[in-house]
Amino acid sequence: MKALTRRNLMKLGAASGAILATGGIFKTKALAGSIELAKGGKDFSPETGKERQMSPSACWNCVTRDSMIGFVEDGRLVKLEGHPGSIRGKGKICAKGAAGINQLYDPDRVLYPMKRAGKRGEGKWKRISWDEALTDLAARLKKLRDEGHPEKFMFHYGRMKASSSKIIKSAFLGAYGTKTVGNHTSICEGAKWTSQELTWGKHYDNWDFDNTNFVLNFGSNCLEAHTNSIPVLQRLVDAMVERNVRLVTFDVRLSNTAARSSEWVPIVPGTDGAVALAMCKVIMDAGLYDKEFFKFIKATKDHNASTSKKVSALKKQLAKYTPKWAEKISGVPAAKIKALALEFAKTKPAVIVSYRGAVAHYNGTETERAMQMLAAITGNIDNPGGRCRGVGAKWKYPKGPKKKPKGKGLKITAGFKGDTAYPSHGANHQVLKMIKDGKAGRPEIYMWYCYTPVYANGECQENIDILKDENLIPFTVSVNAYYDESAALADLILPNPSYLEWWDYEDMVSPAQIPEYYIRQPFVKPLGESRDFKDVVCDLANRMGFPLGFNSAEEFVKMSCEKTPAVKAAGGFEYMKKHGVYHDPKAKPEYYGYKKEVKAADLKKDGVVLDKATGVYWNWHNSKAKSEAEAKEKGYTKSKNAYKGYVGQEIGGKVYKAFKPDKLNKSGYFELYSELLEIKNFSPLPTYYPIPEHEKMGSDKLILTTFKVAVHIHSRSANCKWLTECYNDNPAWINPVTAKRLGVKNGNKIKVKSEVGEITTTAKVTEAIVPGVVAISHHLGHWEYGRYASGKKAPLAGGNDPDSKHKWWKTHGVHPNWIIPNSSDPISGQQRWMDTVVTVTKA
Amino acid sequence: MAQTEKAQRTAVARQRSNIYGLLATAYRQEVTSEFLQQLRAPEFLEILSDLGIQLTSDFLQKPEEELLDDLAVEFAGLFLGPGGHISPHESVHHQRDGVEGGMLWGETTAEVKKFIESAGPDYSPEYTGLPDHISVELEFMEALARHEEQAWSVDDEEEAFRCLDMERRFLEEHLSRWVPAFCDKVMATAELSFYRELAGLTKRFIEFDWQELQEVEE
Repeated sequence: MKALTRRNLMKLGAASGAILATGGIFKTKALAGSIELAKGGKDFSPETGKERQMSPSACWNCVTRDSMIGFVEDGRLVKLEGHPGSIRGKGKICAKGAAGINQLYDPDRVLYPMKRAGKRGEGKWKRISWDEALTDLAARLKKLRDEGHPEKFMFHYGRMKASSSKIIKSAFLGAYGTKTVGNHTSICEGAKWTSQELTWGKHYDNWDFDNTNFVLNFGSNCLEAHTNSIPVLQRLVDAMVERNVRLVTFDVRLSNTAARSSEWVPIVPGTDGAVALAMCKVIMDAGLYDKEFFKFIKATKDHNASTSKKVSALKKQLAKYTPKWAEKISGVPAAKIKALALEFAKTKPAVIVSYRGAVAHYNGTETERAMQMLAAITGNIDNPGGRCRGVGAKWKYPKGPKKKPKGKGLKITAGFKGDTAYPSHGANHQVLKMIKDGKAGRPEIYMWYCYTPVYANGECQENIDILKDENLIPFTVSVNAYYDESAALADLILPNPSYLEWWDYEDMVSPAQIPEYYIRQPFVKPLGESRDFKDVVCDLANRMGFPLGFNSAEEFVKMSCEKTPAVKAAGGFEYMKKHGVYHDPKAKPEYYGYKKEVKAADLKKDGVVLDKATGVYWNWHNSKAKSEAEAKEKGYTKSKNAYKGYVGQEIGGKVYKAFKPDKLNKSGYFELYSELLEIKNFSPLPTYYPIPEHEKMGSDKLILTTFKVAVHIHSRSANCKWLTECYNDNPAWINPVTAKRLGVKNGNKIKVKSEVGEITTTAKVTEAIVPGVVAISHHLGHWEYGRYASGKKAPLAGGNDPDSKHKWWKTHGVHPNWIIPNSSDPISGQQRWMDTVVTVTKA
Repeated sequence: MAQTEKAQRTAVARQRSNIYGLLATAYRQEVTSEFLQQLRAPEFLEILSDLGIQLTSDFLQKPEEELLDDLAVEFAGLFLGPGGHISPHESVHHQRDGVEGGMLWGETTAEVKKFIESAGPDYSPEYTGLPDHISVELEFMEALARHEEQAWSVDDEEEAFRCLDMERRFLEEHLSRWVPAFCDKVMATAELSFYRELAGLTKRFIEFDWQELQEVEE
């Protein structure tokens, strides 16, 4: 038989084509629609063969809020992946993000509104209907409002960003009229933000790893647990692997970041600021500072000082901070400090990284100021490859009712009077203490949302005692999907869904320095009777007679998509639902924003005045000043909310946008000299002071330090079985030298005791921690939060997770917060996580 | 890739698509008058003859009306029943470990349906047959190769290779696994030269195409 060849088949093909093209051949087409390979047709699981639907959304397991893609199979969310179209995450998410599915299908989820049945905290509950719950709650809230005391409703959130914040805080709480609103920043990195507000204005620093040539890191575990984790860490890895960029990490502990660094420099806790100041001295003395950037630096009281005067003022301030001096304090060899300072100053561009290891101390704000100084004197500010002001999406959104009452607030969110100078992000770890104290008033209703006051703050026992006391707080409400340690002390639990079941628009900082707009949309309908709290506040507002102008989070997000020009132009809500993310493809990365000049017309607007003392042009109408005369008399620095009217900074005869202030009346300069601190009797120029407790401690004592790991969120992930399987025990790290002195061997049970409590744990003897320190991680030691976190099922929990029988681990770790006092950095109000002095003994 | 090579690949994809289309038509339903006239045109017969296809007088010389009748009877006897016939569905013929074969609408049927739908098309509401009928699988290859042709013609190399990959997978996982054995049965059973030779051509073409696609360089 003749063989088939390509040649004769081509003839057959051509002839077949002719036949197919003639009419009357008649063939019912079996298939309709076209081949769509790149766009993807229906998707099927390669394993189960079930039909899959894919849609974009955004993570919420940590504040990074990565864009992601989820796969729903037969109505069940089965997989989460990074969103390949996101310029932030570039197609990746972390273990915590992937384990979000465990949040959704946690068998211990709270699926119905629950009302306390026995005594508060007794653990007896009754299921009630939403209508019953909201009728009761709305009546209580309305009563306070009608009596003229909306401030007696305290709302306390842990995570509430972007549209969630706008709906709940701006629209609902704003229209209700309470300003007794707490956050959680002081237990995170408040000192860092206040310090940035004192120096360059709006908080959040992006480290431009894409373009940097050297990274100097003080106390950030950014390869494991950063606030912009996946977007940032992959860029750092790329820089190191692809361009051989050196990363030097100062840390008391050999974190995985330190371990992956080119160099780990062990350091005594709380002394990072001393090392940074010594580096500044080395750089200034060597003349390696950036003269051009000095134009924008304020380094003396006189804002018109010449560069040479500024330089000599800094040199004078730094004179005592020699590397030898820093060596004595920090344990870092003087030669090492000098060499790294020179490397940092000579490598262009270079970036300063810092986080809680450096700032969660008594001297945290000053330490961060020293970091800002290092970056500023070397010109590594807002430049490609340096420390840049964060860039995020700027959404437009519905503002809620036009007429809002003048809000009232109890002064209990910023710590005790006189404790802190500028608690610009609050001192909310002190809220329960202040309620107990009672001098600033007490809320009658205390509601918390995505927050666990009992577990997340220090001094857990005191938190429990206060929250349990009905005389101190008459009514407690927990908005939560899970039965955690704080929900256990609620009078009412409103079941929130997991974030995989709700709507949001999102705006987290983009390390590409190009804003990225993105949304979160539900993969599945809320389980059981859980209801997105954003929808619930719309309902509550209607019940109390002040409709918000939208009836659900979905509607709000949709309206915002249509209001936001960039998103609307891209296709609005429909586009965002389909694609999940949007950035302007023509946008260029934002650098050097401070060099822009203010238009002459903007200086002539009604209300704009020049403050001679600072050189700031500001519009007094936007402040609390009642007249131009009053504004001029008090001046920019001392007029309340003057920063809200900031227009520009006069420098050398020109007016620049410069470094716009936020929350504090800082001038437009990059302020190394802070008049605001001077007013409060702190050193105007960055300085170092030791941690009082460390100065006084005896040689038998240790310093307790805390840390986070890559596979857990601070307090909200121990219910994720995949994560807790990875990390379910947290022994205390102790250096062999210290352990020997204490007579402790690896694996020994030990007691760790502070002035506020005692915990028992296990010793992990390792050289990966500096001597004299004991390190215990966060995340674990839950006594509620469901079977995977604590071994205890939640009331009314579903019992049908087939994986329950695979839970092989019996350890649930220990929680260090029991023994950490709630105390503040005197400038910012930062909770001092890393300062606690403890005694360690064999148990 | 050079333009001449792209043009060549465009042409190959087009002709392969046509052949798949022709075969799909032949298996979908009984031969119509118009189809028969095209098939019996001298130029077409010559092409068939060059391919070694030996049609005999039962196809070449019978009057049209009588032949259409004979072909319809043979089509029913071979592929439709009632009674003993050779079911033209993959799930009946495709033998695999751990998968129950020999039945209509088996697991394999679901796989074929999903494979096709994952590439974009849906089953048309007018199509009343089963998802893994040989004519549907051939039509799917026709559509894939047509899409590939279009991709080459607009220089979308990435999409063309994606498409080629899909064709290769479908041949690998489905057509090559059962069509040759099916064709053997048809050849052994057919009484008319048309269906015997159709089955022979189908088998040889599938094997040829499968071989060729494995050798295509990317």
